[in-house]
Amino acid sequence: MSEWMRRILESKRKARQRLAALSFSEKLRILEKLRDRSLAIGVVREKPAKKYGQ
Amino acid sequence: MKATLEVINRMQADGIIGKYAIGGAVGATFYLEPAATLDVDVFVSLPKSDSGALLTLAPLYDYLTQRGYKTDGEYVVIEGWPVQFLPPSDALGEEALAQAVETEVEGVRTWVMTAEHLVAVALQTGRAKDFSRILQFVECGVLDAGKFDLILTRHGLLAKWEQFGNRFLKGNE
Repeated sequence: MSEWMRRILESKRKARQRLAALSFSEKLRILEKLRDRSLAIGVVREKPAKKYGQ
Repeated sequence: MKATLEVINRMQADGIIGKYAIGGAVGATFYLEPAATLDVDVFVSLPKSDSGALLTLAPLYDYLTQRGYKTDGEYVVIEGWPVQFLPPSDALGEEALAQAVETEVEGVRTWVMTAEHLVAVALQTGRAKDFSRILQFVECGVLDAGKFDLILTRHGLLAKWEQFGNRFLKGNE
């Protein structure tokens, strides 16, 4: 594994640790934002794709 | 989520449910980094009826629908969150409920399964997303190995854990 990749993975690991250390209330607020985003993405996906020329 | 938990606590105070514990992805969030989920799994004990009739979720659904909450398949949408109520189906579920950890969400009291029970239930359920969650728990190092071993032994999950280890953990030790 390259040094560059190792640094990226280490940075991700630290970010996950930082998030895991938040209080349950703070984590649930993040969860709500994630859910709202997932629902918004779902709504966009459910719309039929526009065809060229329409 | 605070409002959802307040409704569930009210159900408990009104005797519609007994003890409860949050499981699934929301329960895992108590121990791990938040991971996107669209619903809440709530394991509940149901009060025993005097007539000795079979325990059903009907009184629970009636209570909520009478208060304006809508059902969506097996879920009831409570204050914006689809909630699935799951009475324990075996000894592991009963134990997970009995040993749940008390905590607070914005000042509202609630209960979450222990990390070891969340992993044991995920192992028993055995879907791809359950395995992924188990790996997160292992990587985070939040499991108490002694407690976890006892749970696996008590509930006949040692062979499943060994299979999981051979498949996903070998070479990572």
